[in-house]
Amino acid sequence: MKNPNYPLKKRLASRFLKALEKIKYNMSPSPVSIEEKRRRHRAVRGAAYASMASSVGPRRAWSRALLRKMRERKRARRNPRNADTRFGLNQLCDVVPGGEAMDSRSLLNETAHYIECLVAQVQIMREILHSSSSSSSTTL
Amino acid sequence: MSSRRGSASKLTEDEVNDLIFKLQASLPHESNSTSNKKRSASKILERTCIYIKKLQKEVDDLSDVLSKRLASGDINAADAELIATLLQL
Repeated sequence: MKNPNYPLKKRLASRFLKALEKIKYNMSPSPVSIEEKRRRHRAVRGAAYASMASSVGPRRAWSRALLRKMRERKRARRNPRNADTRFGLNQLCDVVPGGEAMDSRSLLNETAHYIECLVAQVQIMREILHSSSSSSSTTL
Repeated sequence: MSSRRGSASKLTEDEVNDLIFKLQASLPHESNSTSNKKRSASKILERTCIYIKKLQKEVDDLSDVLSKRLASGDINAADAELIATLLQL
């Protein structure tokens, strides 16, 4: 049925680590302004979602939506849903990328995969933090 | 599950409920004994939204901490041990 999680995590970890290196390389040395700190926070968060989207590629509607947003920064086209009354899925389509353009079946399908990817991304980020904190004495 | 294009039909309420109950498997298990109870579809959707928002907040918070750690030089993304650990997750 579903692919094992391993290839996804491998791609995710690899891409995210590369993105982190790039951010680190481009960081200006201290002292840093509050605006610069905010910029870095946004950069890491953007890298998290960009890694997710590019690891999954165009295979999923939610990742296509994210990739589209990354490239064009345009709103996704709304598809007419006609008789598809959504059965109370409106809140869900707000949190899943591209959700507003999906029919009900796709939305529910996409949601499960999106959750799986989010969970993997969070695990990776935690592990990076965990491994770095064990080698340093700074506290969170 | 074979992918059926949505060309044929609009979804019946039963089909939607079926998909929603399948979604429950993606959610973290409840620790109390009511996990066996059949939850309403709307409750599952509500829990799903809450869970996704929670995960997205975690990504945001972790991004914040990571961005600070990057600056302090604690993170070496090319570290072989780190990569090996991540792949075993």
